[in-house]
Amino acid sequence: MPNSNSKISLATRPADEASAVKEGSGVRKLIRVVLVSTTLICVWLTVRFPYEVESGIEYLLDGPNRVNPQTLHLRGEFVESNLGPVEEQGGTVTVRMIAEQYLFVPQCVVVPTGVPIRVRMTSADVVHQLTISGTTDEVKVVPGYIVETHLQLERAGEYQMPCHEFCGPGHYTMRSRLTAVPPEEFRKLSREARMNCAKP
Amino acid sequence: MQNRKSLAKGCGRRRAPIRLAVLTVAMLLLLSARADVMGSDVNEPPVRIPSNVAWTARTIALASSGNALRGLLIARRCDRCHGREGFSSSPSVPNLAAMDRLVVWKQLDDFRSGKRSSPVMQPIANSLSLEDSADVAAYYWMMPIAPDPQDDRAFPQPLSDPKHEAVAGRLINAGDGNRGLPPCQACHGPIGFVTGAPSLATQNATYLLEQIEAFASGRRANDINMRMRSIAAQLTEEEKHALAESYGAGLGESSAGPAGR
Repeated sequence: MPNSNSKISLATRPADEASAVKEGSGVRKLIRVVLVSTTLICVWLTVRFPYEVESGIEYLLDGPNRVNPQTLHLRGEFVESNLGPVEEQGGTVTVRMIAEQYLFVPQCVVVPTGVPIRVRMTSADVVHQLTISGTTDEVKVVPGYIVETHLQLERAGEYQMPCHEFCGPGHYTMRSRLTAVPPEEFRKLSREARMNCAKP
Repeated sequence: MQNRKSLAKGCGRRRAPIRLAVLTVAMLLLLSARADVMGSDVNEPPVRIPSNVAWTARTIALASSGNALRGLLIARRCDRCHGREGFSSSPSVPNLAAMDRLVVWKQLDDFRSGKRSSPVMQPIANSLSLEDSADVAAYYWMMPIAPDPQDDRAFPQPLSDPKHEAVAGRLINAGDGNRGLPPCQACHGPIGFVTGAPSLATQNATYLLEQIEAFASGRRANDINMRMRSIAAQLTEEEKHALAESYGAGLGESSAGPAGR
């Protein structure tokens, strides 16, 4: 009868299984414990030291948009040789800038008209707000995060980019310039020329 | 119950390797992935790093941990150029009295790493370790800036053109919004201080002018995130001279750093 059979087998099975369980999955259990505890330690480290720990868990959580504002100039996307306008495949332009007290760096940027422009920016110290006069673009730049804004300028000329978030005693003069030129002219300019400030 | 138990055992045995594999992959990602490498798309131009110093808490702690007494002994070799009391007798050599510790430490590190080039200072900085630099910085930070008639210091220097005071005063106090120039005092004091920005109120005019021109031309490029280069490149010649002379004549400010001494 199934019930009695099952009872007997239940009685005997644990004894058979006990040794099997101990042999086979003991190592596996240990590995699992180690992995889980390491995971928990990594999580705790990242939460406790959000800027110092540049580990993979940061990347998993919000990686592409997180940076360490203190080490922007040492490595990563916002090293100073990587700032400024760059033409991507497909004709769009990506402009990388850093907002700091009290400049948007690079301070003078040349971009082409009529082309989608993607501005990627982060802050090196406090919260700033990039505003492009003549457009409705306003984006808060927060230290530790990369913000991205898309714009397209149809009119050639000079656009002022003042800071619209109080950032310290130098906030009121914090301004950079965006110069829009026809795309052919933009392509002729060298990398340095695209970030050159014309003398007053 | 037999079915449930065998089911559980079977599923556990079958799924355990998969769970293990998933955990291992997740672990490798956690430990090996680095946000800066995966999140950057660096272009062809070689990476240019202005300074190896980053103002992390660890660096600030290291640079602030100097022993001024030990720095007193180390700094005896600095007297010849920088003066016995931190005020140099030559206008093209910077005064170091009461200079912020972090500023001195960073510049020594930049000399050591070659990010700031100076044929005179590089071998000197090479002979100092990180701790020695912190000690020397702590020593100079403690030097008073009160005028001492017994010294043959070069500071203060007279203004060559009285108009310069107005020009410089405007830039120092208010900056220039048209060009996006912040007021000098917002970073160099006394209104505001940015880590790594030296106090200019007791500095020599010739040295200041040389450094402003070095920043403007890009010859000196150890400012983090191109701050000083962007500002200096937009100054006119008259403004550069006016600023250097105005600071070199002493602004009457006695505070020399964030510690407000």
